Amino acid sequence: MPPWFGLLVLEVVLVIGMSIIQPAFISGSNLSNIIRSAAIPIVLGIGMTFTILTAGIDLSVGSALAFTGILLSGFITHMPRFAAVLLTVVIVTAVVGGINGILIGKIGLNSFVITLGTLGIFRGISYLVTNGTTRTIDTGTLINTLGDGNWGPIPGPAVVVTVVALLSVWALRSTYFGRDVYAVGGNEFAARLAGVFTSRVKLTVYFISAALAALAGIMQVGRLQSAAPTAGAGIELTVVAGVLLGGTRLSGGVGSITGTVIGLLFLQTVSNSLTIQGVSSYWQQVVTGVLLGAAVLFDRIQVSYASRRKYREESNVTKE
Amino acid sequence: MTASVSMTNISKNFDAVRALQDVHIDLFPGEVHTVAGENGSGKSTLLKILAGVIKQDEGHILMDGTQVNFQGVRDSMAYGITMVSQELSLVPHLSVAENVFLGHNQTRNKLGIDWKDTDKRAVEFLKRLNLEVNPRAEVSTLPQHHQQMVEIARAIASNTKVLLLDEPTSSLAPKEVESLFAVVRQLRDEGVAVVMISHRMSEMLDISDRFTVLRDSKFIDTSTRAGVDENWLIDRMVLNKPKKAIHSTEELLKTEVVLEVKGMTDLFGAFQDVSFSLHKGEIVGLAGLAGAGRTELVEAIVGLHPRKAGDVIVEGVTVSHSTRATMNAGVVLVPDDRRAKSTIRDMSIRDNLLLSIHGRPQKQRSRRKEEKIVDEWVSKFKIKMSNPYAPISSLSGGNQQKVVIARCLETNPKVLILDEATRGIDLGAKAEIYQILRDLASKGLAILVVSSELSEIFEISDRVLVMHAGDLTANLARKDISESDVVSAATGVRT
Repeated sequence: MPPWFGLLVLEVVLVIGMSIIQPAFISGSNLSNIIRSAAIPIVLGIGMTFTILTAGIDLSVGSALAFTGILLSGFITHMPRFAAVLLTVVIVTAVVGGINGILIGKIGLNSFVITLGTLGIFRGISYLVTNGTTRTIDTGTLINTLGDGNWGPIPGPAVVVTVVALLSVWALRSTYFGRDVYAVGGNEFAARLAGVFTSRVKLTVYFISAALAALAGIMQVGRLQSAAPTAGAGIELTVVAGVLLGGTRLSGGVGSITGTVIGLLFLQTVSNSLTIQGVSSYWQQVVTGVLLGAAVLFDRIQVSYASRRKYREESNVTKE
Repeated sequence: MTASVSMTNISKNFDAVRALQDVHIDLFPGEVHTVAGENGSGKSTLLKILAGVIKQDEGHILMDGTQVNFQGVRDSMAYGITMVSQELSLVPHLSVAENVFLGHNQTRNKLGIDWKDTDKRAVEFLKRLNLEVNPRAEVSTLPQHHQQMVEIARAIASNTKVLLLDEPTSSLAPKEVESLFAVVRQLRDEGVAVVMISHRMSEMLDISDRFTVLRDSKFIDTSTRAGVDENWLIDRMVLNKPKKAIHSTEELLKTEVVLEVKGMTDLFGAFQDVSFSLHKGEIVGLAGLAGAGRTELVEAIVGLHPRKAGDVIVEGVTVSHSTRATMNAGVVLVPDDRRAKSTIRDMSIRDNLLLSIHGRPQKQRSRRKEEKIVDEWVSKFKIKMSNPYAPISSLSGGNQQKVVIARCLETNPKVLILDEATRGIDLGAKAEIYQILRDLASKGLAILVVSSELSEIFEISDRVLVMHAGDLTANLARKDISESDVVSAATGVRT
């Protein structure tokens, strides 16, 4: 049974429970609302899963998201929208991913410290460039669809999330790169001894994380029709919480995209339920914190139970 | 016959420590070649250089006559050299099949990795090693000897021509060793050059076609199997030194027992049913090879390592299994790894020294009193330092160790246990520490010295305990033993 199974059951129970208490919860508009607000954290969470799987972390995703919006607001007045989007994504990926990836992957500095640094840097730049003001953007249909609109009957963000998630599942499951990600996080020395290019693998995951943060930044612009330097402030906490809730281990080597998607969907459902029940949004942060603590504690109990059982079995084997 | 690998004039230093000096070795296809030597003689370093894990300072490696230059593991792998290292190098949460093909040997099809075929091929490789396991199982759920087979399967899967095995049998039961050796012989017959490091005399003699002996980082001798026996190996591995008698052991045995260890058994199987006792004023050496369970044993005695069974009795009172309780009862440990276990690198010498007496009542802890304590130890142990507020990492290894010993003694112990206390310490400081220990013993402290260096054991002990594979295999008075006795007991040779 996958580690996220329990959470999936919890999610289903929550949805059914809420539908009984609050019929408004199950309405089409509310469900689509949950999906729309979960989409950006999920896209960031998928990038975060790559970095955490290698036993790293990327705290700069929220700042990269804001930085993307600001860059786009500058480019979009000078060139066709599609070109502006493409240029923005490329620049953010190269700059943010490049700084994080080279310092962490190639030079081997601590991921927490470096991305805490880039978190500050790109948030600061976003404030400097805009002088702290929010810029309105005429997004047109493409960007709007990505972030908020509909693609036929389906919400645009849902399409984006599905495509990104499927690609990532495939990459992690069926490519050499994906398996190297797990190997590096599970036992870096063993991976190196087996000929895996460990520094290149680590470099790549920060590029992926930055690219997905840029995509999330575009979606955010599409949603709000504007770019604010405050966008995505503090979102890295929610994202890390969701990734860990979904069963990805902070020590690396264990975890899945499916878990991340369910984890963040669950957090969003809880938050939406609390809102519908009229609970203050301040409480929602408390609840997220408690859930995260509970999930990690639960995981630890499972792990120590499993290792105790393993030692028992091994001592039985040696007795024979 | 051309040597498939020839290493000549290999030298390697780690900082100031010489690991290898002008060593040479030839490896031929279709032979099992054992590199023998005591701990620290440079065997593992030699293998790691050939595997590309570390690079030699001097010397050349020739493959089939051509000189090669390994910058990393990938380079040596390209020449068909694979190493199964001492510590298991598997990725614990990945499947068996995936660990077999780690490093891009999985089958691929148009959609990426073909898991069905990868699993099928893994099963075939494992079958060649007589191992039938589910290729999808998480590798960490297998028993250890199966995990090792998975590593060897990985070597075979990458089409190895030279297989390096660093102490492959250290964690295996006799039956498992047999099946490993069957595989090794099979590979040898297929033309693979197998290089092995082992500490078990009988095993070396059983499997090897050729031997190379290293001692003190230097090449000593090489020979084919014919003409080699236990004595041949022991003579070359151990440099026999004149023995020094210290004082009569009988006299010591009469004095009272301070520490009694009864039936200690490790929760994780590192040692089993170990019993011994220490007398007042006695220095006892605990010898053995790396991995014999000595560190785990002494850590279990002071409550650091979990134990399944056993009692620690100090002056007739059984002590509960906790570091605090053991220290209060008067048993303290100087651990084997200064960096990881005993010093707090960025804290001052003073704070490191006073670390164990934080529990004292506030009244006794005035700044002046604490300074006095530090000054006393510094002058007593001749600790060389700029000032007591400098970080402990600014001291040399020997002086750091003196601070740690002082910390332990400040708790007024009855029993002092030292685990590899002089490792990485220069000769002068070593001699000073030996003198400190003798002085302490003459004042009635019971001392247990764990050491992998035979010379140290013989230099200092009144009595010698020897462990082999988790068992206590010898408990002898100093005057009754020779170095060969200790080597035999430590390598599991029956006498």
